Amino acid sequence: MTVDVNGREQELAPGATVATLLARLGLEAGYALVERNGEPVERARYADVELEEADRLVVARPVAGG
Amino acid sequence: MHDTLTIAGREFGSRLLLGTGKYDTFETMREAVAASGTEIVTVAVRRIDFDAPGEDIISFLPEEVLLLPNTSGCETADEAVRSAKLARAGGLPDWVKLEVIPDPRYLLPDPVETLKAAATLVEEGFTVLPYVLPDPVLAKKLEEVGCATVMPLAAPIGSGRGLKLRDSIRIIVEQAEVPVVVDAGLGAPSHAAESMEMGADAVLVNTAIARADDPVAMAEAFRLAVEAGRTAFHAGVMEEQAPTPSSPVGGTV
Repeated sequence: MTVDVNGREQELAPGATVATLLARLGLEAGYALVERNGEPVERARYADVELEEADRLVVARPVAGG
Repeated sequence: MHDTLTIAGREFGSRLLLGTGKYDTFETMREAVAASGTEIVTVAVRRIDFDAPGEDIISFLPEEVLLLPNTSGCETADEAVRSAKLARAGGLPDWVKLEVIPDPRYLLPDPVETLKAAATLVEEGFTVLPYVLPDPVLAKKLEEVGCATVMPLAAPIGSGRGLKLRDSIRIIVEQAEVPVVVDAGLGAPSHAAESMEMGADAVLVNTAIARADDPVAMAEAFRLAVEAGRTAFHAGVMEEQAPTPSSPVGGTV
C-alpha cells in the first residue's frame, strides 16, 4: 500500500503500523511525533495503529527553537 | 535562601529559561545550557526533512531539564492547538510555550488567537505558558482562563533591545497572580537583571546567549544577572530621590 509521509509517497506492506513506518524511516529512537489524517497518534499506540492505503501522515520532531 | 520558582505546582531552582535556537552547534548549546543553570528549555516542533534530517537535539539536552515545546510557526489558534497536541501525543511534556505569530516583520503575537488557543489548551489539560505583548488586561484574561504563567515580551524576538515596554511589564508584575516570565528581546545580562529587580519571576533568553561571541560565558553571565536581580528585588531596590550626601556634611578638615 502507499501512504503519504510529509508529502512523499512511501510503500508499505499491508498491516504496517506507525511503528513499522518509523522503523523504516530510521526513527525508532528519540521523539518522532506522528499525525495520521490530521489526528495526533499517541506514542504508546504506535505499534498498534495500522496504516491504511492513502493515509496522510505528518512525522515531526523537536528541533532547536526559542 | 530558599527561593524557588513554582509553575503549575512544579518547583525550579533556576529563574532563567533558555531557548535552544540559533546556536552554531548542539555541543555549544549543551555547554551553554549547563553554564546557565537552566531547568527549562524551549524546543520547536517541525516536520522531519528526510533529505536532511540532521542531529537529534534531545540527545544534547540533560534529562533533568524540562523540555518546553513551543508553537512557533503557528499563525492561528487552531494551528497552535494542533502543534501542541502533536507534541504531547508524541511523548513530549504536556507543557507548552504558546506563541501565535501572524506577523513576520515584527514577530508580534496575536492576542486574540493566543487567548483562544490558551483557553482550549487549558481545557485539554495542558500547562500553558503564553507569549504575549505586555498588555495587562490580556495578561489577566490569560490568567483567568487558567494559564500557568504569562510571558510578556520586553522587545521583539531576537532584537536585543531590552525592556522597551517596561512600564507595561511593571503593571503586569504588580497584578499577576501567576509567575511572570519576561520573554524575548533581552539583549544583555543587565536587561535580565533589571527585569528581575522589577519583580519578574523569571526571564527567557535565546538569541543574546546563542549569538554571543562566547555563548557559554554569556550563559553564565545571564545566570549571574538573574540571581543578582532576584536578590536585589528581595533586598528592596531604592526609590529614585533628590541627591543626598553619603558622607558627613560637617567637620571637613
